[in-house]
Amino acid sequence: MAEGQRRDFYAWFWRAPLLVWQLLFFVVPLAFMFVMSFWLVKNYRMTPAFAFDNWAKMLGWNIFWSSYAYTMALAVAATILASVLAFPAAYGLAFRVTDTTRRWALFFLIIPFFTSYLVRVYAWQVVLAGNGVISAMLGWVGLGPISLLNTPIGTLVGYLTLSFPLVVILQTISLASIDKTLIEAAHNMGCSPLRTVFSVIIPAAKVGLIVAGLFCFILSFGDFVSPYYLGGSKPPTLSIMIVDSTKSGQQWPRAAVIAVVMILSLLAIAFTAVKFAYRRRG
Amino acid sequence: MTQSLVVFDKVEKRFADFTAVKPTSFEIAQGEFLAIMGPSGCGKTTTLRMLAGLEAPTGGEIRFEGKVMNDVKPHERDTPMVWQSLALFPFLNARENVEFGLKMRGMEAATRKKKALDWLDRLGIGQFAERNVAKLSGGQRQRVALARALVTEPKILLLDEPLSALDAHLVIRMQSVLTKLQKELGITFVYVTHSQSEAFAMADRVIIMAQGEIAQIGKAKDIYRAPANKFVAEFVGRNNIFEGTVKANTSGSVQVETRLGTFVVPTAAASTARTGDPLSFVVAADLVQVSTKKPAAENVVECQLLSEQFMGTTVTLFLEAADGSEIKVQIGQRELETIDLTHGGRLYASWPSSRAHVLAG
Amino acid sequence: MNTEKATSWALYIYIAIAFAFIFTPIIWSFIFSFNSDRFPSLPLGSFSLKWYQTILSRPEVLEAAWTSLVVAACSSLLSTFIGFCTAYTDYRYSFLGKQAYLALAMLPPTIPLIIMALAMLSWLAQIGLSGQVVSIIIAHTVLGAPFAMAVIRLRLNDMDPNLEAASWNLGASEWRAMREVVVPFAMPSIIAALCLTAAVSFDEFAVAWFVSGLNKTIPVVILEILQGNVDPQINAIGTFVFVISITLIVVAQVLMLSKGKKEETAQ
Repeated sequence: MAEGQRRDFYAWFWRAPLLVWQLLFFVVPLAFMFVMSFWLVKNYRMTPAFAFDNWAKMLGWNIFWSSYAYTMALAVAATILASVLAFPAAYGLAFRVTDTTRRWALFFLIIPFFTSYLVRVYAWQVVLAGNGVISAMLGWVGLGPISLLNTPIGTLVGYLTLSFPLVVILQTISLASIDKTLIEAAHNMGCSPLRTVFSVIIPAAKVGLIVAGLFCFILSFGDFVSPYYLGGSKPPTLSIMIVDSTKSGQQWPRAAVIAVVMILSLLAIAFTAVKFAYRRRG
Repeated sequence: MTQSLVVFDKVEKRFADFTAVKPTSFEIAQGEFLAIMGPSGCGKTTTLRMLAGLEAPTGGEIRFEGKVMNDVKPHERDTPMVWQSLALFPFLNARENVEFGLKMRGMEAATRKKKALDWLDRLGIGQFAERNVAKLSGGQRQRVALARALVTEPKILLLDEPLSALDAHLVIRMQSVLTKLQKELGITFVYVTHSQSEAFAMADRVIIMAQGEIAQIGKAKDIYRAPANKFVAEFVGRNNIFEGTVKANTSGSVQVETRLGTFVVPTAAASTARTGDPLSFVVAADLVQVSTKKPAAENVVECQLLSEQFMGTTVTLFLEAADGSEIKVQIGQRELETIDLTHGGRLYASWPSSRAHVLAG
Repeated sequence: MNTEKATSWALYIYIAIAFAFIFTPIIWSFIFSFNSDRFPSLPLGSFSLKWYQTILSRPEVLEAAWTSLVVAACSSLLSTFIGFCTAYTDYRYSFLGKQAYLALAMLPPTIPLIIMALAMLSWLAQIGLSGQVVSIIIAHTVLGAPFAMAVIRLRLNDMDPNLEAASWNLGASEWRAMREVVVPFAMPSIIAALCLTAAVSFDEFAVAWFVSGLNKTIPVVILEILQGNVDPQINAIGTFVFVISITLIVVAQVLMLSKGKKEETAQ
């Protein structure tokens, strides 16, 4: 085709919208946030500067690091919990039901993403509270009224509410796409079902399982709703610190420092996870 | 030959890492049925796509009715194509598919509907006009694709392996539909295929391409009887190829020494050959005679019968010569009955010197 | 065989419990939106529409609903347009730096929303675009475009690569071919993408909360109610949002599945 004149305008017409929009409203905002982390706040007004004050202040602040450790620990716990709890369900959906049932199950698992997360958190608030259902049930077995609200367990329940369906979906897809003959071969060679799971199925689906865990980690690490409304925000997670210093403290540059640290942490973890996922066995 | 409709003048197509078509020149006459044939990757489809403007030549000129086409956009050409995948528009019904080209030319709705229906009728699928193309059979969709390409009354029709997805019996049917249409319309067909039987059955002339070059161009009979080189001889099949060296070139005959003995080939084609030169020749399978008694003639090979393959009224015998090489003989069924055949039995293949065709190069 | 059956059943029960965990809060809020008691307890109080009456009588809720609608409509149109352009570019062209181009297209969902919210707020404030309805539209377009791109790209996968060429061959210019062939072919996925991105926008609260200023959307209102006391109004609003979102998703799903099936044999 007469590449010259013809391709240019037409091709660029379709290529440009993403470039323009995502540069202007995705790349630049993130870059600007990084720049802003070096700005100073004087008399409640931000002034452009190139100062390490915010970085020094945040990185030298004990509470920041304990929040960091707390956030990390909670997100890791949620990732392990979600991965382990999702696996039997994904295994059942991948190997023990018909294709039609699996499709329907996956469709139902998508639904939660389009119901308000806030409303679901509110429901848990009521369930987990001292006068709520869980407490009442524990009361019947003689474990006096306990409120799980405003505890790390509350936060974890919230994280799982957010990420569990996604982890089940991703695990199911990756398990269902394993070559079935691999499993039959293992059975033929006298491998017990449980051993087949650990020595054949999990290694074969490794990439998918790790990606599912990674998504759970990203969602939990950045969520501020559960630790706030179910976990009681004490100690605050990094995301709550961002909310607080932006919304009430007017300390946007410090919030930016936290955000940049979070992004760097996520990048490091994602990179490690992907590298681990594609590492050659043996 | 009538006036040339299309001229390829040293046309070349290079991609970043390979050359699809080396500088190639040929002409296509008005009203001709031309087949371009070759193994996959030989450049035949690229050649066709350049004619349609879907690939830009990187060298040379393509002229259509004398006008240079290199920079003409595909939609400004009148070179409709029937695609291997048919490429029917799945969201349109059969009639709307046929109307597409007319709509693009700004024809008014009622007129183009009538034209489209006329064409669908002409191709015998008028009753399916309003049907979703996905619900038509392979042969019916083939006809929709054909109608869609022909409805604009072009001077040339390009066909890219159009029958490759059809069942064998439908292929034969469509072949006759195509040749009949081409004769009736009197327009030029350029037909790309990898199938010899399709090309030889329909085309006035055949181009055989190999590795981006024209290996031979000519009438089907000529390509079959007188392949230009070893590639064509092998590609066409049904040929027995003999390789050897010139033993003697006297005025009366050229003697070629091969592993199967010494054979005589016509002088005319090998007049410049000197003793010791390598020389190859072919003998078409249907020109070889076979007998149980050793004939008292030149060019006799003693062999054993390996197997036979029946194809309609002819049969191909596969014989094995002393050195293990294969010799194919094609004879009629009737003739076969006159020969006493036993597997492993001794047979003699022979041919008159005049039937041997010397290969160039 | 018997242990095999037993494990199967154990797995089914486990799956049922997992689904119960996922759907309990959703069903819970649905039931309690019709419950007369302020504090949820068993047994239920009487059936009542009072929480719906309460929200409908609050002008700020209605205003937020309107804002949500406008934002969802505009951002779904914009992100579907961008998603279509990107999907088509990926389908049709290969060029230097395409990897980076696609990374740019698919990256936004991997950045935590709270960080997107901060980055958006600070940048939009910098260029004088924060605190307006248009701020939310801009942000939601960024968030929705990758989903639109994914849905439409999936559809274009099924398009015969010769289909566009066939229309040029029949006399359509590239622009005409786009209108007559590519867009009609992709139409089910375009509508699905519109629904999907509208649903994404309709539920998003973090970025909206940060950049919206006084123009609250429904999820922002929910967030603010959440900060107060136990208030079953949330259940009523939540049920509202749920019904709208789920309708959009079902429409999207049905379009993607049915249209794909019908044309399976078309090429």
